Amino acid sequence: MRAALAGIAASALTLCAMTSTAVATDLRMTVWTGSEVHLKMLNGIAEGFKAKHPDVNVKFETVPVNDYTQKLTFQVAGGNPPDIAWMMEDAAPAFENANLLMDLGPTLKATEGYDFADFSQPAMGLWQKDETVYGIPFSTSPFMIYYNKDMFDKAGLEDPLALAAKGEWNMDRFQEVAKKLTAANPGKWGFEFKDGEGYASRMTHALLPPIRAYGGDIWSNHECGFDKPEAIKAVKQLHDMVFKDKSIVPPGEQGDYFSGNSAMTVNQISRASKMAEAGFKWGIAPLPSGPGGESPVIGQAGLVVFAQGKNKDIAAEFIAHMTSKENVAIMAQFFPPARKSVLESDAFINGNKLIPPEMMKNVAAAIANGRVHPAHEKSPQILAAMAPRVDALWKANADVDAAIKGICSAIQPLL
Amino acid sequence: MTDIIHNLKTTRTSQKPWLTLKAREMMEAWLFVSPSFIGFLIFFLGPLCAVVYYSLTEWNLLTQQATFVGLRNFENALLENPDFWHVVRNSVIFALGLVPLNMALALTLALALSRPFFGVVFFRTVFFAPVITSAIAWAIVWKFLLQGEGGFINQVLALVGITGPNWLREPGWAMAAVIITRVIKMVGLNMILYIAALQAIPRDYEEAARLEGASRWQIFSMITWPLLAPTTLVIMVITTIGSFKVFDHIYQMTGGGPENGTLVLAFYIYQQGFKFFNVGYASTLAMIMFVIVMALTIVQVMLRRKGME
Repeated sequence: MRAALAGIAASALTLCAMTSTAVATDLRMTVWTGSEVHLKMLNGIAEGFKAKHPDVNVKFETVPVNDYTQKLTFQVAGGNPPDIAWMMEDAAPAFENANLLMDLGPTLKATEGYDFADFSQPAMGLWQKDETVYGIPFSTSPFMIYYNKDMFDKAGLEDPLALAAKGEWNMDRFQEVAKKLTAANPGKWGFEFKDGEGYASRMTHALLPPIRAYGGDIWSNHECGFDKPEAIKAVKQLHDMVFKDKSIVPPGEQGDYFSGNSAMTVNQISRASKMAEAGFKWGIAPLPSGPGGESPVIGQAGLVVFAQGKNKDIAAEFIAHMTSKENVAIMAQFFPPARKSVLESDAFINGNKLIPPEMMKNVAAAIANGRVHPAHEKSPQILAAMAPRVDALWKANADVDAAIKGICSAIQPLL
Repeated sequence: MTDIIHNLKTTRTSQKPWLTLKAREMMEAWLFVSPSFIGFLIFFLGPLCAVVYYSLTEWNLLTQQATFVGLRNFENALLENPDFWHVVRNSVIFALGLVPLNMALALTLALALSRPFFGVVFFRTVFFAPVITSAIAWAIVWKFLLQGEGGFINQVLALVGITGPNWLREPGWAMAAVIITRVIKMVGLNMILYIAALQAIPRDYEEAARLEGASRWQIFSMITWPLLAPTTLVIMVITTIGSFKVFDHIYQMTGGGPENGTLVLAFYIYQQGFKFFNVGYASTLAMIMFVIVMALTIVQVMLRRKGME
């Protein structure tokens, strides 16, 4: 009898174990960061979710940034989309219009204490259409000037943070400082475009900040903005800096800021994780202002759930967890929040381990005043159409006006 | 008992085998080739047929919508899309630059390295090493060397008073740069093929010609070169096909730029299919590329045959 009971108990235990294995859910989330610090932080958030949902494992899959959208698309087309994806702003409209994304609204609004209204409306612009919520911006990261303090000191110049505090950090000063930095640091440059890709994959990221500083835009309301007077002034100034002053890393050269070969660059605060290895004193400051005033540019990334995913409901719950007030505050050290409560909190300004409060204040201000990079359903086609015209622009003897007109004639039909 | 055994033996020997010897051999042969044949069907022939069908559709990968459009894509590519002919022109320029340069260099190296001398293995290894080097790593290194003023190549040129161009930012020079770096990368393969062919030519021919008073040029032009003809044909065909298929090199070094100056057919197909997600149109372009390469191959074979006659 005792043996029979033991047998029944053992069978029951085995059955329980099998059942628990059978209902375990693995959520796969694609990200484009491979940074150990970022992944450690994300895994910590996933552990927090596991405490509430012991049967759910979240795995983060890094996909290199240059192939990110392409690989995501092929996974979707192959019927094997990730449950959750970290999606770039320029890809979002195409995925939304193809009805590939789940409406997260019902799950988020039903989550206790979530406070959906806490997300700033401008930040939600790309991710919400009427009542449908296609994604939650988890990174609303403004473009900032990164500067090499050592190179500024060597040139005997005030750094951009000090100039910004005095209200003197504008496009004219930017040009002047870049020129002096180049002269004081032979073989190096005053400025490098974002990620050194300003003449290729980040051509709009290179042109947009100065164009906005002059009061223009690269495009808006389906109309090309490159040939507007404000944009022309901005582009001509950049062109002079590259070819006359020789203070911006020119096309065909490599002058990596992070290796100390350029005194300034434009990037987002997630790159602060790279600065630990830089080996020089550094800081971040706002983008230079211009005749159009201060016009910060924001790069965004959102979290989305694929509508065809097998675990979409639990995936939506994970997004609710990941973008809760507590977790947004944790991520804010690298990925600035779209939640007003976190953005306005002292913790955001004072709690960053890498960036001091006086610099974080500028980050918060840039998020509050900034506008996102224009997105379009046909972004890849627009960039491909722009590329040869932008190549024609970045030549020492270029006819800048003609090249700018060429850009507009190439992209207007697509806009 | 003896009768029973006898009857059994008779039955066994008189029974016809289930399969004839020929059929059995055939079945064994099929069993042996089936693993690779099934792989060929699934991974080569299947996708090839699928591409033919896709080329007749307008299929956007993102929206998952496919519409049968007949020959509309071909009409668009050949008659309406000015980019297409620009891209074909670039591919032809790339092939015209690469194929003769590669073959001439491969033959020169093979002639120099086909005979044994001290260090010959070292030199063969040096010239063959780029072939097995990662194409992406190769392109990254050359991109670094070919920078503008600060590039190693231009700094070397500056030592002898030459101001080098901004290699990868000026359309003509960019094309020249990708051709030359591709030739250096791939010449080792053709060199090995030529060395093998040269070593297969009996030495008696050359010795007899030398005894008859033939010069080195006469020996090369009247004995060696004609005997290399089959190898030359193979090399010409594979190098031409390879030049039309070039992708990784362009992707890493120029991305098709500047000003679309190195936008070749394979890269354009990638752009349409993998960047714009127009799988139908990309398949159409792939079909056109297939026809171009096939036509060039047939022409080369026919010319060679005519030459041999």
